[in-house]
Amino acid sequence: MRKLLVLFIFFFSFLCSFSQTKLPEVDKSPMDVSYYPGNYPILKIQNKATEPLVARVLYSRPQKQGRKIFGELVEYGKVWRLGANEATEIELYKDVQIAGKKISKGRYTLYALVYENTWTMILNKDTDTWGAFKYDSKKDVLRTDVPVQKTDESVENMSMWFEKTTSGMSLIMAWEQVKVSLPITL
Amino acid sequence: MRKNLLVLVSSVLLFSCKEEEKPADNNTLSKIETPVKVLPPVTHFTVPDHSPMDLVYFPADYPLLKMAGKTTALPLMRIIYSRPQKEKRKIFDGLVKYNSPWRLGANEATEIEFFSTATIQNKTIKPGRYILYCIPQETKWTFVLNSNLYSWGLEQNRQKDLMQFDVPVEKNTMIIEYFTIATEKKSDKSAEIIFLWDDVKTKLPLSF
Repeated sequence: MRKLLVLFIFFFSFLCSFSQTKLPEVDKSPMDVSYYPGNYPILKIQNKATEPLVARVLYSRPQKQGRKIFGELVEYGKVWRLGANEATEIELYKDVQIAGKKISKGRYTLYALVYENTWTMILNKDTDTWGAFKYDSKKDVLRTDVPVQKTDESVENMSMWFEKTTSGMSLIMAWEQVKVSLPITL
Repeated sequence: MRKNLLVLVSSVLLFSCKEEEKPADNNTLSKIETPVKVLPPVTHFTVPDHSPMDLVYFPADYPLLKMAGKTTALPLMRIIYSRPQKEKRKIFDGLVKYNSPWRLGANEATEIEFFSTATIQNKTIKPGRYILYCIPQETKWTFVLNSNLYSWGLEQNRQKDLMQFDVPVEKNTMIIEYFTIATEKKSDKSAEIIFLWDDVKTKLPLSF
């Protein structure tokens, strides 16, 4: 009986470890997507979209998990991938203006150079990349500084979304008690 | 002694297959089965999606290869999909109906992008971005490429179907909890896209 059980344990662990090495696991920092206009895919199939799709951001969402984020996990003065895993991707479906500069439609990587009171937002042409480990400033398309704001409550899961503004939209990023807004003119 | 062993067995099960011990969550059910009408909140400050989104590249893990300096070529393909969980439900011919279009995941329609010209079952596919869904049956799945991009996956616009490919259904020896898409390399320029959920496995071979 005991032998059988041991065999069973062995066999089962083998099966499980086999499956786990072969198949991609579920990410601890899951990927998510935000659109402008918000929830565009749902609006689209309901025929309720009043504006065409302008932008989409693909990012992975790390959690705070009791850690101090800004100044520690995300160090000041270092380029950060704005999330986890793959570098954050922003795709523009039409030409826009950011900080007075024309940005052509297309796929970009978005990084942030994080400080206590300002973030330098970086739009870079090198896509499909992991983290900021191979960040190459020669491929920058734009750098612009935005002020750091504080949120009332602590944000556990890093969040990004678009909000409508009078001149177009803003990309909002929030984590811990930090919130940053990147204005985009349409 | 026997009791001890049982505890040991169950803890091994728990640790080695922890994904299978997910409590049922009513939200998930309503999310997956929700009719099109309900608008979920925009994602700010929300908890992560219950069916998390994921990326699949061919070559597999392309961004990591690129970071490690192991490739300088462009990727060949990328899939973006969301990963629902079985959560003790019967999936095929249950949650996923036979003979009806299925989004191959959850939430948004599954997106597939070819960065080079691809060939599937002798049909040539131009580089670009498409929606991929399937019509499952017991013994075969029909994969469909469609051009209705950036749409939620509950409703397919069949008028925008571009091509379709039939593949046989295979059985897994084990139950897969999270719907999984992966690529298996056959050569530098060819692969199988593998789809796994519950006890079902299908493969879509393609080349570049």
